[in-house]
Amino acid sequence: MTLAFLNLTWPTFANGLALGGVYALMAVGIGLVFGVLRLVNFAYGQLIMAGAFALAFGSQWGFPNWASILFCFGVVLGLSVLMDLLVFRPLRTHSPAVMLVATFAVAFLLQNIALLAFGPLGKSAGALAILNAPWDIGGVFIKKIAVISFATAVGCLVILQLLLTRTPLGLHMRAAAMDFRTARLLGVRANWVISGAVIVSGLFAAVSAVMLSVQELTVVPTFGTQDTILVLAGVVLGGLNRPIPATLGGFSIGFANGILGGVLPSNQSQYLPSFLFAAVIVVLLVRPNGLFARGGGTVERV
Amino acid sequence: MRVSKRARWALVIVAAAALVLAAAAAARTSSSSAKKPIVIGWAFDNKGPMQPFDTPALAAAQLEVAKVNKKGVDGRKIVIKTCKTQGDDPTTSKTCADKLISQGANVIFTTCDVDLASPVVQESLKHHLLTIAPCIGTDQMGPKRFGKAGKLAYSFGNVAQDEGSAMAQLAWNKGWKTADLATDTVIVYFKAVVTAFKARFKQLGGKINYETSYQDPALQQGSTNFHNAASGIEQHPAKVIVTVTSGSYGAQLPFITDLRTAGVNTPILNSWAGDGTYWLPTSGPKVTNYWYVTYANAFGHDPSAAVNKLAKTLRAANPFNAATGGFVTGPAAIDGLVTAIKRANGSLLGSKLAAVMEKFHKVPTLSGNVSFSKKLHSVFGREYRVVEINNNKPIAKGTITAKVVPNSPDA
Repeated sequence: MTLAFLNLTWPTFANGLALGGVYALMAVGIGLVFGVLRLVNFAYGQLIMAGAFALAFGSQWGFPNWASILFCFGVVLGLSVLMDLLVFRPLRTHSPAVMLVATFAVAFLLQNIALLAFGPLGKSAGALAILNAPWDIGGVFIKKIAVISFATAVGCLVILQLLLTRTPLGLHMRAAAMDFRTARLLGVRANWVISGAVIVSGLFAAVSAVMLSVQELTVVPTFGTQDTILVLAGVVLGGLNRPIPATLGGFSIGFANGILGGVLPSNQSQYLPSFLFAAVIVVLLVRPNGLFARGGGTVERV
Repeated sequence: MRVSKRARWALVIVAAAALVLAAAAAARTSSSSAKKPIVIGWAFDNKGPMQPFDTPALAAAQLEVAKVNKKGVDGRKIVIKTCKTQGDDPTTSKTCADKLISQGANVIFTTCDVDLASPVVQESLKHHLLTIAPCIGTDQMGPKRFGKAGKLAYSFGNVAQDEGSAMAQLAWNKGWKTADLATDTVIVYFKAVVTAFKARFKQLGGKINYETSYQDPALQQGSTNFHNAASGIEQHPAKVIVTVTSGSYGAQLPFITDLRTAGVNTPILNSWAGDGTYWLPTSGPKVTNYWYVTYANAFGHDPSAAVNKLAKTLRAANPFNAATGGFVTGPAAIDGLVTAIKRANGSLLGSKLAAVMEKFHKVPTLSGNVSFSKKLHSVFGREYRVVEINNNKPIAKGTITAKVVPNSPDA
């Protein structure tokens, strides 16, 4: 069964939704840390890579799937906390540029550690590969992982929304994201809020690691890097300052990536990143605050 | 001025002695020049997608050089100087070529893909050096890609037209009369083998049911359209699915997994690119009914005892060095180079060696007989080893040779 336009099939549409869902989670993860620390974490992709390797090793060592996933979560959360303690916290009072460069350094360090430790060919994370099998939904074959990814992303975002709106931690995080200094004066504990954001961000990185490694199966040291760059573009596209626009931006770029990847003739899909980044530039020229940001205040660029 | 008879004799003796000494010195200089080693400058991928092919070829070539050096090549030893291209990064590759040339390389060896090899090849050709790729598998390593200068470029890999033809012959012999084709378009070799398969398969009377393509994420980062390629094939059943891609890249395993988890158990046929077991999943669904043709059986079941012995030695040193049958291309290139130097009467001039190699006809090497022609500077006519992977286990399935090389520049 084909959709009415552009050779778009239902499986491609579902894959687009699934990738959009995963990218939305990554966007939230990046956006949360940016909200409280004003830090764009370029090492986010390496958290995902570490999680994917943990999943692959869990499979190789014969762990049951639930234990592999738990191991993946443990590694990503541990690494997130370490990253915060060893790098972000000591540099917190420095300029955003210093912190940005620090995240680049962490990203390259982790990538090269993975290269040295696991080699360029990486590992296969095949234990959950069976989720690539399709479900027959009314005569349309949709991959299980596409449905699961989208549903998981929606579930995670709902839980996050509840956390942000119904818990003291969420209230503090929102306050810190609006104005960190004033929030501290009003009694918000900086370390608590920042640790909360880092942990939630890490949880989302772990979920993304599981979803992406099921789809890509081979985990290499560059795993997650390209996705992170695209998500960062999506976050800027949506609006970096607020979680919902950032999430929508991440979703949009993932969805567009998934759809265009399936629709473009394969001899032209090598230009896919160029299409995406050209679209990002056009959108930012028209709406510098982001596609989904409300209000049209000036943006300080220089 | 008057010179006494005795003094005259003394002068004659001194002059004669000087002549003898000069001649001896000249002889010593010329003999020391003749004994100068033959330097191979080898730029190889140490960490990128070509590593599984470059590193084993180099390791096996080093063993072959040690063997050759026991007798020497007309009294000279071979020395291999290496440089790592860091994933065939273009800038690093060019720097490597310059470094190796400045270190006195007489011949340059390069990585196993013609696109990725280009920076090294161009630099080497600029210096008029014989330039060899152990395992580039297209007809582009030569004048076709590099113009007149490309006369000095050769590969001991199989020309894709030959390999694709052998795959078509294998499919036909197996009774697989309809095929789905999925082309990984990221490198020339992948595309060329599928094109050759298609041409020969149709010549034999086979029918192509469906064609699709994808970009491997190893070289086209972020690409996931191999999923769409698999979906397309699922909807167009055929007797065999042909794809040419590598386990060291990103798409091979998920592409196969997509098909198998969707219940498509059709044989999948690949070229040497898909050789090896290193990419197989250590958990989850096992790879089965997966076939490929290759240079040598890396798992100890090659028809050649010498190849099996070499594979064993390589595996003992580092299991990865016998990951694919491509390791034999390293020694084959050394054997071919030695023959060329001998036939060129010891000359290391690129033009002389290239002229000799152009006339290679069934020159024996560890990888079998090697032939080149004016237009085909890559090997044709090899006897390919057929391997099937079933339940993650490689099984030797005989050999196959292409009877016809379709679309050959020589045709």
